[in-house]
Parts: sequence; structure tokens; C-alpha cells
Amino acid sequence: MAVLEARGITKTVGRGRAARLVLDGVGLDVDADEVVAVLGRSGSGKSTLLYVLGGLDRPDSGEIVLAGQRLTSQSQRALARSRLRHVGFVFQSFHLIAELSGAENVLLPARLPGAASGGERRGRRLIDELGLAPVADHLPHELSGGEQQRFAIARALVNDPELVLADEPTGNLDAESGAVVLALLRNLPGRAVVIVTHEPEAAGGADRVLRLTDGRLVPERGAVGRSAP
Amino acid sequence: MRREWRDIHRGLWLRRRRALLTGIGITLAAAMLSTALVLADDLGDGFARGARAADLPDVIVRFDPQSRERVAERIRALPDVAAFSTRTEFTNVDIFANGYSDGRASAEVVGPGRPGYAIVAGRNVSSHYGEVVVESGLAQAWHLKLGDRLEIRGVGPQRIVGFAEAPDDVGYPLGVPRFYLSQAGIDARFGRDPNPQVDVAEIWLRDPRHLNEVLVQARTSSYGLRGVRLITRSGVRVLLDQAAGIVIDLLVALSAFALATAAVMLAASARAEVQRRLPAIGVSRAIGASRGHLVRVQALESAVVAIPAATIGVVAGVLVAVGPSDRLLAMLNEPPAGSALVWPLIAAWAVSVLIPVAAAAWPAARAAGRPPLTLLQGAGITGSGGSGRRPRLGGRRTGLTVLGARLVAARRGRLAATVLTLGTSTAFVLLLLALATALSALETDPGALGKRYQLTASLPAANAAGVRAISGVQAAAPRYEVQALDSFSLGETIDVIAYPGDHTVFEAPPLTAGRRLRGDGQAEVGAGLADALGLTPGSTLAIALPSGTELRLRVSGVVSSLDHDGRVAYVPAAALLRGDPGAPEQIAVRLDPGANPSRVSAALTRLGAAPALASGATARGVPLVQTLRAILLAVAVVDGLVCLYALVQTCTLTLAERRRTVAVLRATGAGPGAVQRLLAGVVIGLILPSAVLGIVVEKLVLGPALSRLAESYATLELGAGYAQVGAVLAGLLVAGIAAVLWVSRLAMRETVVTGLAAA
Repeated sequence: MAVLEARGITKTVGRGRAARLVLDGVGLDVDADEVVAVLGRSGSGKSTLLYVLGGLDRPDSGEIVLAGQRLTSQSQRALARSRLRHVGFVFQSFHLIAELSGAENVLLPARLPGAASGGERRGRRLIDELGLAPVADHLPHELSGGEQQRFAIARALVNDPELVLADEPTGNLDAESGAVVLALLRNLPGRAVVIVTHEPEAAGGADRVLRLTDGRLVPERGAVGRSAP
Repeated sequence: MRREWRDIHRGLWLRRRRALLTGIGITLAAAMLSTALVLADDLGDGFARGARAADLPDVIVRFDPQSRERVAERIRALPDVAAFSTRTEFTNVDIFANGYSDGRASAEVVGPGRPGYAIVAGRNVSSHYGEVVVESGLAQAWHLKLGDRLEIRGVGPQRIVGFAEAPDDVGYPLGVPRFYLSQAGIDARFGRDPNPQVDVAEIWLRDPRHLNEVLVQARTSSYGLRGVRLITRSGVRVLLDQAAGIVIDLLVALSAFALATAAVMLAASARAEVQRRLPAIGVSRAIGASRGHLVRVQALESAVVAIPAATIGVVAGVLVAVGPSDRLLAMLNEPPAGSALVWPLIAAWAVSVLIPVAAAAWPAARAAGRPPLTLLQGAGITGSGGSGRRPRLGGRRTGLTVLGARLVAARRGRLAATVLTLGTSTAFVLLLLALATALSALETDPGALGKRYQLTASLPAANAAGVRAISGVQAAAPRYEVQALDSFSLGETIDVIAYPGDHTVFEAPPLTAGRRLRGDGQAEVGAGLADALGLTPGSTLAIALPSGTELRLRVSGVVSSLDHDGRVAYVPAAALLRGDPGAPEQIAVRLDPGANPSRVSAALTRLGAAPALASGATARGVPLVQTLRAILLAVAVVDGLVCLYALVQTCTLTLAERRRTVAVLRATGAGPGAVQRLLAGVVIGLILPSAVLGIVVEKLVLGPALSRLAESYATLELGAGYAQVGAVLAGLLVAGIAAVLWVSRLAMRETVVTGLAAA
């Protein structure tokens, strides 16, 4: 069953003469337990696609259904609630809060108003499972890039979301750390994962690999996996 | 320059909300500064200005009506006299004008020579009959215009030809209405008196430094003149004028803090803005923009905001302050500063503009001085600024509120500056509220005037024991009061008050010199009496009692009393009763704390007494007290606005620097409520230490300091009570809530995507 269903998504960025259509009728279904990688050149609209799919940004037209809820008709408040319960974001720059330790960063979403119960327990388990316990009390600037990204992944998973969206998750990591992070993302049981990246290596191991070209998603030639709808 | 203006226009439009907030801060600071300037300059120099304008004499002598020639002869005998003039004063004159009337007016019939008052509108009375000059306080209160008629019972209608001010006494309505007629005009109408009588003489000295010698000579050579009262310039400064002085000191201190607040906030704001724009500055530098150009753009952009904001602030401050200040000055018979204020106000305006301009230009100059590559990498102006410490709350539950507090604590310099500003403002607001309450007490509470008794009962002294037995009565004792005269032929009237034991149980006016009376032969005298008779601790007070007996007592101390203009003497009852066994008596009743005066009054009535409540300040002081209180409360409100501004500005800056943090939170599902919690943490991190600091500073520093300053005229307990602390905390809380709501609204306007992309 599809966790995420996107139909006919269009999005223009910029205004006036600078306006540019970056998503032109994009459609994408992602099932639970499925990892979809989206490749594209810099500026092709990959991040925009990710933000639209996760309810951080609104499309100009089209429909997105996440875990049975229509994101495109939701208010800002309802969108925030949907993100809290159903979406986990992983960013290229990790975006850990500098004043909080790694563990506190992980647990923060679980302590937001409206978060499902059990988040704290899950967060501590994730810290252990990801091998972060020895550095759990360290501040972000005391951590390596790989550790920071693993904390960011734990943070994305702490509320047990159905959908994980990763934006260039290995972009700021060395090859070894990047491999660890990708392995983690590819092995998230029961979750739909969308990874956008410009590095073909990062797409390896995904169930499906798509390419965003001229605002449209097309199957990546030669890639392993199922075809796009 | 055209390129700079284009950049400025674009920059301001892009950052219009931040520019608006900065403008509000500048407006508030400028308003505070100009308010304080107007009040300080107007009131601080009011007496000196009034004395100069009125050509106030060095000595004013009042006496029972005497032949003008005889008075002139005595004055000519004095040393160092430059000039003198005489006049006749009629009191309790009925006057009517413009639908108003008063039966307590004072008519001053002035002779030739220096008038001793300033004409502030129109002209002085001429030798023609039918002209009158009225005091400007009366004209203001009765809405009189030049040319109006003033009906004087016994004289007839007189045309108002001028308005006058003379700071030798407070004006209407604090004092009685005063007007001036010319002796020549009266003579022209009613015929010349062959032996004209006068009762006031005004004396100007060649060298005012010889005043003391002249006063000594005047006292000894005034034989034959009865009822003589000498008033010097310094004696004219009424006691309540000192209260205005305290208000002025407070205002000046407050304005300095407001300016410091604005400077700190504006500097922090400018620094944050420059920090945010470092990459843009780096790009500009990389493509060849000069350091000077970038600094000019920042400075001019700041000036474009500061100039209108400071102008609005200065004008608003003047408009707020000038009305109450002029009313107060008219009551004190002192002229407003007028055009003398222009230069100080221009200076205030310039300061209000220059501080934000400098605050913007300085960090820009520092940033633009760095290598473009460093700027492009986004390095901070003064390092990372982030906290390098391990979180101390690691083991505890870290919620959004704690995170907010941590965010604000990460900028320690700004946190310290904001807490210092808010704490000091809190202390000042507490002090202002305490002072306003104390002024109310001065008006209504006899305790503020040193009276410890609440009731008097018209009963013989023998009934004191019976009164003490009434439930709710803590102490009761006979109180004797007689009107006596100074027996050195000066005719000074003195209220002599006596108790059989320690009078401070019932009346303890603050001691300003010497010590309390001990033993039969001693007396405490009021400051007014000491000033009039030149008494100091150790000198002899000789008073003629109504019985004709003279009482000679050694002055043990000088006390400050607002009653009877300080012309009082506290003496032992035994000494008074020896000289005047028939001295009028009543029983002073001091109640237990919390006792019901009505219940005690009823019990006293059952004993056959007519109980009366002890009174506070005399009724004529009420308008002054009310005006001072209004000014204090207005300043407290402005100070509160400064607090609100500091809170909003700090929250805005914290969020501006942490846009990405907020965006990440929102990306993980935080809604408006969560952002508000985060901001609540910021506000709590500011308010809690500020409130503690404010209360401690008020309790330990400002309150005691002001109490000491005020002790020369009244006993003011200026420690803030629970009610005032509660009110201020509630105010801070409301300001905090307002800041949270305002800033969270701003934060939620930004899209998450924009926040994530923030540098």
C-alpha cells in the first residue's frame, strides 16, 4: 500500500521574469518498505520536490496524499501535525541545534506538543542502535559529520514516521560515513524512504531510481529497481 | 551617492519589518530622553529661572502694618542694601471673574521701585486706577485673558493688564489667588493717604553673600516693627519643591537607562543584521565594493530609519511632558524653560540619531575590513558566538522552553545587557510605584508626615487612662497645642506642641539636625521656624505663651515638618504647663496596627469625646502631589514600554539568529504553539533574572537611597510592597506574553524552506 501518493504536482519558483517551473506534473507513489532515490542536477528541483512531498512547501497544483491524508488541502497547523506524526526529514547539513546535545536533538521532536507517545523510549533505543550512546551527551560541534548525520537520522525516526525524506544525506560526508548513512536509510523497516541526491552512488541500493529532468520524474536508465508509475 | 541611495532603498524595503522595529526602539528612546529633558530642565532650573525673571529680592520682610516712612528708615539703616520697595498686602479678599470666585485672595498694593515679580504677559500696572495684574496660576485656573475684568470686593472691577509670576510663594491653586494693584492707582481713585501704611518690604542686596550679616542686623534693628517675618530666597524653596527635585533625579536617571537600553538593543540589532549579511558583504567586497561604500550604506540606511523615528520620539516626548510640566511650574509660580529647551532637545535628537547610526556603521566597518573570502564563508564578526559548553541539563528533560532559555543564554553579552536593562527598568518602575504610593500617603496618611497617632479626642488629660483601655488603642496621651510668639520682639507665630512623655510615640517628624529633646529645658523646632529665626541646635528658643509667660528652651534638634510651614516647636508638657496651665488639651490616640478607627471613634464618643481623624498634607498640597504622581505614573508607563521593546527586540534578534533552528523545529512538526513555547523560554530566560535583579536593586539600593534623599521633608518608606512587586511582575509577564505573541507571529510568517536556507 502506498504511504505517499503524489499526482500532477507543479511548482514554480521565483517571480516575474525570474519565474521557473521546477516541477511540471510530477507523480510519485512510494510504498512502505520502499526506498526511492531521485537523481538530478543541482538546481533541478530535487529539494523543492522533497519539501513539497513533506508538506514544508505547497505545490501550485496537484495533490499529495500522505498516510491517507490530503496534505494539499491542509492548514499550516494541520501540516505541522502531519509532519510531526508522519514525516521525518534528513538534511544535507544535518541541522542539529547547536545548544542541544546529540541525544537532546534526537528527543526534541518526541517532546513537541502532539507527538505520539513512546517517542523518548524509541529515541533512546535509536541512539543505542545507531551506536551513538558514547557520544549522546556531546554537543554537535564536538561530533564528526557522520555522527551528526546519524543523530539527524535518529531524530527523523523518533516519532516513528511512515515517510522519511532525505535531502542529499551524504552531501557533507566522506565516503565511509556516507556509506554508513546510506546503509541506515536503506534499512528502515516498514517505512517509505525518498532520497534525493545528485550522486548516482548514493542512489545505489534503492528500490527505484528516478531522475528529475525538466520538471518531470523519469526512471533512471540502467538503474536497478521498479519503474515509476 | 546615487548608488548608495538605491542600495539603501532596496535594503529598507526588503527588511521593512525589522526597520520598523528598530524605528520603534529609537522613537521610544528619543521620547524618554526628551521627556526627561523637558521635565529636568523645566523643573530643575524653575526656581532659579523664576527668581531671575522676577528679580526676586534677597530678603522679603513681612510685618504688622507700619508707616512706610518708618519702614524705609529701618531698611536704610541696614548694611549693603542696593534697593528696596514696599507694598501693602490685603488677605482674604473676595474676587470674582469668569464665573469663578474666591474669598481668600491676596491683594498686593505695590509702590514705586522694583516690583519683585515677573510680567509674563501684558504689562505691569500703571499709575492709573482700574488696572490689575493677576498671577499666571490664577489666570490659568480661571481661564482669564488679558483685558478681562476682575471684580474685587471693595475696589470694584479692574481690567487685567498683565499676568505675573513671583516664585516667593506657590501659585494658585496650591496657594491663595494673588493679584497686584498699583498704590498710585488706588491713591488716584480714593485719595492719597497722608501717612501710608505698608506691611511688606522687599530688599535687594549689593552682595547676596552678606545675607547672613544683614539678617542678623535686621533682627536687631527691627525694634518698633511688630510681627516681623524674614524670608530669604533659600527659605522660599518650599518643601514640596524638593519632592519635584527627586522626581527630576529619577527622570534623568531613567532617561539615561532608556538611552542605554536603546543603544544596547540597537547595537545588538545592527550587529545581528550585519552578521546575517556577511555573505552579501563578502560578495560586494569580492566584486569590488569599497569598505567605505558598505559602511556608508549601513550608516545611511540606519539614518534613514533613525531620523524620522527620533523626530517623532522627541516631539512625542515634548508633547507628553510639556503639559504636566507647565502645570506644575504654574503651581510653583515658576516660568517654563521655553526656547531654552530647543538646544537640549536638538542635542537629544542628535544623540538619538547618532547612536543607531554608529551602532550600524561600526560592525559594518569591522565586517567589511575582513578578507572577502572569510566573509563569504560566513565567519562571525566576533567568532562563532555559540556556546562551547556541554549542556548542564543533559540528564533532564529538555523541552522547548528550556531550549528557548538556552538560545538566549548562548549570547551571554546580550543576555547580560538585556537583563541589566530590564532589571534596572524593573527597579525603577518599582521605585516609581512606591514613590507614587508614598505621595498618596503624603496626601492622605498622617504617618507620612511623622504623625504616629490616627485620632484625637477632645477630652481632659485625666481621661488618657480610660482611652488607653479602649480595645484597638495602642497608646494615648494628652496633647497640648498653643499658638505662641517669638519673644525677641519679632512676632513670629509658633505652634507649640507638647506631650507629657516621649512625643515621638505620637509625632516623630524627621530629624534633620541635632537630636531629639531630652529633659525639661529643651525643644525641637521645625525647619521653617529655624530658618525664620536662625535657630540651630544649641541656640535658645524664647517664646511668649498666650498666658504672657515667657518660656526659654534650648534647641536640641531641628525637625522637618510640613505642618504650618515648619513653624512648630515640640516642647515638654511640664515646661509648657508651668508657663501656661490653661493650655488647650486633647488626647492623641495611636491605634494598634489593623485596628478599626471607626470602632475606636465610637468608643471615644461614648466617653463623651468628639473624635477627629489626624490629617495628612494640607489641602493646598494636593494638586502638586497629584501632578507629581501623574508624572511618575506616566514615566513608569514609558519605562514599561522600554521593557516591552527590550523583550521584543531580544526575542526578535534571538529568532533572527536562529531562523534555521526554528525552521528545523517546524520541519520536524512544531506548530505555532511549539514556537511560542520556545519563545516563552527566551522570555523566561530574560524575565526571571531581570525580576530578581530589579527587586533586589530596589530593595537594597534605590529605595533606601531615595528614602535618605527624601528624609529631609517627609518620612517616606520607599521599599516596594507586595502589591507593587506583584503589579510589576504582572506587567513583565504581560510584556513577555505580548513579545511572545508578536515575535511568534513574525516567525510563523516565514516559510520553513526559507528558514532552512537561512545563513
